[in-house]
Amino acid sequence: MIINSLKNILPIAAITFFAACNLTNDVNIDLPAYESQPVVECYLEPGKPFRLLLSRSYAFFDQFGLDSSFLEKTLLNDALVTISYNGQTDTLINQLNFDPSPLKIFNYLGSNIVPATPGILYKLDIELPDNRGHISGETTMLPKVPIDSVVVDFNPEPAFDTLARMLTYITDNQNEVNFYRRLLNYATLDSFPDQDFLVTDRFSQTALIAFGTGYELEVGDTVFNTIFHITKDYYDYAESYQLAVAGNLNPFSQPSPIKSNVSGTGNPLGIFTCLVYDRDTTIIHR
Amino acid sequence: MKNYLFFLLILLAPCLLAQKPSIVSGVLRDAQSGETLIGATVQAPSLSIGNYSNEYGFYSLSLPVSEDSVELVFSYIGFETISRKVKPVGEIKLDIALSQIGTLIDEVVIKANALEDKMRSTEMSVTTLTSKEIKAVPVLFGESDILKILQLKPGFTPGSEGTTGLFVRGGNSDQNLIVLDEAVVYNPNHLFGFFSTFNSDAVKDLKVYKGGFPAQYGGRLSSVIDVRMKEGNNKKFTGSGGIGLIASRLTLEGPIQKDKSSFMISGRRTYVDLITREVNKANVDNPDYVKIPDYYFYDLNTKVNFTLSPKDRLYLSGYFGRDVFNFKDETFNFRFDWGNATGTARWNHQFGSKLFANTTFTFSDYRYKIQNILQGFSFSLSSNIKDANGKVDFYYQPNNEHTIRFGGNATYHNFITARLKAGSDDGQVKFEAGRDYDGAEFGAYFADEWSILPRVKLNYGLRFSAWNNSPAFYFNVEPRLAANYSVSEKWSIKGSYARMNQYVHLLASSGLSLPTDIWYPSTEGIKPEVSDQIAIGTSYLLGDQILITWEAWYKWLQNQVDFIDGAELFGNNELENELTIGRGKAYSPLELEIEKKEGKLTGWIGYTLAWVKRGEFKDINGGKYFPPRYDTRHNFTVVGTYELSKKWQFTATWVYSSGYVSWLPIGRYSLQDVPGAPFQTIVPVYGERNSFRYPPYMRGDLGIVYKWKKRWSEHDITVSVYNVTDRRNPYFIYIDGKYEETDLGEVPVGVQAKQVSLFPILPSVTWNFKF
Repeated sequence: MIINSLKNILPIAAITFFAACNLTNDVNIDLPAYESQPVVECYLEPGKPFRLLLSRSYAFFDQFGLDSSFLEKTLLNDALVTISYNGQTDTLINQLNFDPSPLKIFNYLGSNIVPATPGILYKLDIELPDNRGHISGETTMLPKVPIDSVVVDFNPEPAFDTLARMLTYITDNQNEVNFYRRLLNYATLDSFPDQDFLVTDRFSQTALIAFGTGYELEVGDTVFNTIFHITKDYYDYAESYQLAVAGNLNPFSQPSPIKSNVSGTGNPLGIFTCLVYDRDTTIIHR
Repeated sequence: MKNYLFFLLILLAPCLLAQKPSIVSGVLRDAQSGETLIGATVQAPSLSIGNYSNEYGFYSLSLPVSEDSVELVFSYIGFETISRKVKPVGEIKLDIALSQIGTLIDEVVIKANALEDKMRSTEMSVTTLTSKEIKAVPVLFGESDILKILQLKPGFTPGSEGTTGLFVRGGNSDQNLIVLDEAVVYNPNHLFGFFSTFNSDAVKDLKVYKGGFPAQYGGRLSSVIDVRMKEGNNKKFTGSGGIGLIASRLTLEGPIQKDKSSFMISGRRTYVDLITREVNKANVDNPDYVKIPDYYFYDLNTKVNFTLSPKDRLYLSGYFGRDVFNFKDETFNFRFDWGNATGTARWNHQFGSKLFANTTFTFSDYRYKIQNILQGFSFSLSSNIKDANGKVDFYYQPNNEHTIRFGGNATYHNFITARLKAGSDDGQVKFEAGRDYDGAEFGAYFADEWSILPRVKLNYGLRFSAWNNSPAFYFNVEPRLAANYSVSEKWSIKGSYARMNQYVHLLASSGLSLPTDIWYPSTEGIKPEVSDQIAIGTSYLLGDQILITWEAWYKWLQNQVDFIDGAELFGNNELENELTIGRGKAYSPLELEIEKKEGKLTGWIGYTLAWVKRGEFKDINGGKYFPPRYDTRHNFTVVGTYELSKKWQFTATWVYSSGYVSWLPIGRYSLQDVPGAPFQTIVPVYGERNSFRYPPYMRGDLGIVYKWKKRWSEHDITVSVYNVTDRRNPYFIYIDGKYEETDLGEVPVGVQAKQVSLFPILPSVTWNFKF
């Protein structure tokens, strides 16, 4: 957590400093040619319909083109998308779908609801339009790891005793290697997360794992505390895109290619995974 | 093996059969301080023979037995030349003290081979510097730094602006053997590489090999940087120091027992933290104020030496340095410290007039620790490498045609790699990771510098090295060869070949040197790194004062270690799973240096045209070759110092190099991510590694030194201006959003490349004193 926090803080602080000292300036550079790739984002969330976002990547300097044609240019439509599990196949219809809060967009929607049963193997199959290739991937539903307890305590130092911290505990299954993603949002789930990091239990000596904050919370603050139980594929993917983002901003960080768990002749990027999490919402009070 | 021994016996035969001459031997010293002089010349002009003092000041010269006296001339650049007459009969012990040529501030010459001697030597690919050059060259924040000066020499690349990084002839930064009084310094940097650990006030001698490595050196692939501390003045008590923009330093030295023993102690500390603490205090009630972390570094060099008998001398020296970074607020109670400690005990013994022995025990320690302690919980991450080394070196001069060196060493290494400890004080939550390793490294060598003919010299040798980290065991033979053919009095042609093995590897997470980089041993899975380097070159002495040296070289590298993409470095018990092995190559058809060391105008011009490549890594770049970050095609430097008078001195430096290469994204996509995560993160997509080259780097620096003398002391004020043209050189380039104002407000319309520069024009002032 500390390393992750520093990774985030230092480059932002450095860039702010350099900009303030007039040591940053725009430059025009030529990058090698880049051919657009299909991008898959599919999170199978128990209790929600099968849905998937299929979009495309751009050359780095392409304009965003934020006009009425933006979605049309960004979304990759007219593909044949199926998800198979437990001997049945759900074909996802190419249909724009919005989840309002927090805002999420999908352009392929299934008719069935994702079952919550752990252990189910899901297989994704996408036939891209105009013979642009094929994409496949698979993932397994993991069991939810519940939040055992949330403890709020106030700073014992009298000068700061109006500030509290939050400690979140889970019980980890030590018989297997588990991966988690921790998100902490203040006020709303739409807010930029105060904490967003990946953790593995490989080095945990105890079943109990704690996630903490600093003494930074005040009475009345709302805290959304989410622990995702994720697959190794998703852990690798999330770590790789975080490194890719950091590598662009931080000269001390080594960039990473995206480690997707979808593959095929379509040369895709992206992730096909289940979304298993427990979320606690707490309003701070004494 | 039998073939090697046979080869050695054949080569040794001439010296074994030589008739017994008269031998003059002794130690050459500075008359003012008693410091031994390294590389000083002793010549018998009437006989056209001569020799040099070795790294311990010892010399030996064979003279034909005669009833007539022979005049011996002793000289050393920056010192008065003196002569002595000896009658060449039997063994003659002759210690000589040379006096420095008087200047207003007597600069101790820490390294000087006269250009003519350098031209005639079999040594090639050697870089030397004098303390005058080090102190005169303008540097960042006015802090003299030997590693930054080395970067201005051909064959060296800094890796990034302002840092002390050294990438020598296409080698990685961990492929430099950096030794301080024979003890390895594992991290030669302070402040994330912006300053080196070497306090130039404490340094006596510096010699750098970037190829043609003598057989006594081993363990690294690309260079040997041999730094020796001052011994301490054994004549009188003296002091020196300086107050600079960011640091101050003080050195004291003097006799413990006059002419018999002396001490030297030198310290340096930065004081920016003292200012930032006051700024933090002044803003304690400002809710919008962002607290500045505490940062400082310090180092301490100490040395004592004792003359035990006319033939025995004992040296004890040590170095201790730390960087400390502290930050405390509501979220963090954070401390990050790192540093080196070294210790050396050295005993010189002279066996008669032909054999000299140096026995050394050294200790090295490099560690870092990151800690965060908060109410009820703590976190720490640390790594450590420790060495204990014993070695013995013999220097044997049977006659003037042969100088033989042989010896051996054994080193015990202990590694703690990325030890992670985190959890609650009550033990209910506990994370632990990290592993310990041991390793033993052995070396034995033999080398002979042989004057085959008056115009032909050969330096041949063998080094045997071994590594044991059970069950892994490696044994390697490393041939070394260097030759010099003097075409004329002014012109020589040289060639060399050296094989090197490296048994410890630095796992660096980026092209830049960080204190958190981890040293890792050779194991069954990680084989020793190997390099083979050939070099050819020629030196031409233009007049008496300008030496032009051209070299061309090719280096092959095997078993190169790199990380797989997205490797996890911290808290990982199986680091080897994150590593991938490949090869490398580097070559230069043109490495040129024009140097002038004497006169009012001194300095050098250097140019290197080179290519550096890495490849055949199964997990990187699809196995294809790619340039490492520091692959700069052209490097051109000009360094000049003009001594206008005894009071005024001017220095200018100009550097031009091709831009570094970088791995920039070529594509992007929007990630909408899971609920609660940042929405529509722009994710960069990277193409082939290091396929983009930054714009060229160019910088000019100026320095002015004004010196004056008082009754009991000498002073100078050094004003230096770094980046005098205020050019914005690229430090790194990143891609940021581009926004346009619309009816809906400011909206993102694309992305824009932005170049970050590190240093604008930076003037600095340093006051130096000596008493």
